[in-house]
Amino acid sequence: MEGAEFKVPIGPQHPALKEPLSLRMTLEGEVIKDAEIRLGYNHRGIEKLAEQKTFIQNIYLMERICGICSHSHTTCFVQGVEKLMGIEPARRGLFLRTLVAELERVHSHLLWMGVVGHEAGFDTFFMYTWRDREVVMDILEIISGNRVHYAINTFGGVRRDIDELQRQKILGLLDQLKKRTEYYFNIGVTEPTFVARIAGVGKLPQEKAIALCAVGPTLRASDVPRDVRKDDPYAVYEEIPFEVCTANTCDVLGRFVVRVKELYQSYQIIEYLLKNLPPGPVNVRAPRRVKEGEVVSRYEAPRGENIHYIKSNGTDKPERVKVRAPTLGNYPATVEMLKNGFVADIPLIFASIDPCICCAERLIELVDAKNGKSQIVQASVLRALGKETLRSKSISPAQAKEIWQQAFRNKGIKQWL
Amino acid sequence: MAETELIQKLKEALKEKAREIVSPAPRRIFIFINQQDLLEVIRTLKTTWGATHLSTITGVDKQESFELLYHLANAEASITVRLLIPRNHPHVQSICEVIPGAILYEREIQDMFGIVVDGIPDPRPLLLSDDWPKGEYPLRKDWKFERPPEKIPGGK
Repeated sequence: MEGAEFKVPIGPQHPALKEPLSLRMTLEGEVIKDAEIRLGYNHRGIEKLAEQKTFIQNIYLMERICGICSHSHTTCFVQGVEKLMGIEPARRGLFLRTLVAELERVHSHLLWMGVVGHEAGFDTFFMYTWRDREVVMDILEIISGNRVHYAINTFGGVRRDIDELQRQKILGLLDQLKKRTEYYFNIGVTEPTFVARIAGVGKLPQEKAIALCAVGPTLRASDVPRDVRKDDPYAVYEEIPFEVCTANTCDVLGRFVVRVKELYQSYQIIEYLLKNLPPGPVNVRAPRRVKEGEVVSRYEAPRGENIHYIKSNGTDKPERVKVRAPTLGNYPATVEMLKNGFVADIPLIFASIDPCICCAERLIELVDAKNGKSQIVQASVLRALGKETLRSKSISPAQAKEIWQQAFRNKGIKQWL
Repeated sequence: MAETELIQKLKEALKEKAREIVSPAPRRIFIFINQQDLLEVIRTLKTTWGATHLSTITGVDKQESFELLYHLANAEASITVRLLIPRNHPHVQSICEVIPGAILYEREIQDMFGIVVDGIPDPRPLLLSDDWPKGEYPLRKDWKFERPPEKIPGGK
């Protein structure tokens, strides 16, 4: 059977994929020769729906395009519509909008680092980054009252203000995050087994990345310094000092390095925003009807360039809203990355572009395994419950060591005893 | 002003192919072209201005015709190439030979508006399901969604 090719379907429902998507792999042995992508399993008809809703309703519809970069879509939409309305948003509102945007980038990148750690078989890293992601989620909750859909944007600014106490608290939490990120950078780039797993995997040469119109960290990891925040500054990015981060290894390691560097930049931006927060109102009054016109709005989401085209016809409903989220822009590049890779690299390569995965709700439904009854519990109750369980069992470190030594003995593993 | 300079530059490069070039906002340029000049214009923009990045293709239903907008970008500005396609003969040229990354957007336009992209390397449907009825294009203005009556397997 030498040289024979096989077609293997992966997805739409597959344990290794986090969202419904169909990949058809043409394999020769264990090497991927070609890959096809089929979308539409999660198509919700949002563009059609947007034409039937008013502009205000559409802010909340746009928020629901994605669970992780929810703020990206609303900001992109809102800043486009503000241009059509001809209003100048409040300066303090723009600062707060950018603050939430950068916090969202931090939470998205931390989440991504965990996912790559998990796909590379480094689950401790996954647990660490996701624990620290909670800090960002808490900050976002302090600002907006919500963890996932912040609902902070409105035409003319933002909906909520922050006070001095909250500002100080956020700065304190930020210091904590900075220290942790440094630790991750050292682990992620110097830990030999981890680097060996992600280096050289999912190669995307520079010229291919440009030709296939890749966006965001995927593009920047192929050494193309393109960032909408720098090229086409919106909100208050024109006055904020920051750098565009790139890497030249063109593989998963490069994408890792780019994102860790971007975390540092985001911390800097957040600090700048909080220290230079101007006084004044957070929003201005916006009209209900929008003048006839069209606008192209671009935004650098955590995953890359997000573009909205909005056309209005003089009523309170848009004539057309076109949304292109960054993941769609990265699919042709993903096919290129998969080619000549191994089957075992599929989840890792696929995760490296950070495909959009829906976030969990804050309410958790618990189903009792014994009687099948379900119960809705708040996260804070769960946290307290976990702590109490550990305390009630009162396992000391010495006892824990005894437990795992016993486990190894039972399995006959001697070298770690 | 950078935009007026850029418009001048583009006018020289595109000559009579550009019917109209306007800049309604900073770093935004709209070029109105004829349908048959699409490939030439995209190629010229790519070589003379470095517009290698295609952000997306937007389709707009304007009743008697369809409007296609090709959003190109480089570090300087975002250029939108606009063209009109007659509704009774919805055909457009594929630009994949100039910008290979356009493939998914062209497939999306085919699915959603029923505009036939001539010379597309992969014409299969992208977003709509395999059993989607022929001749139904969801983003056309005259398309309305009606939920089909529920059929219970084995029921009456």
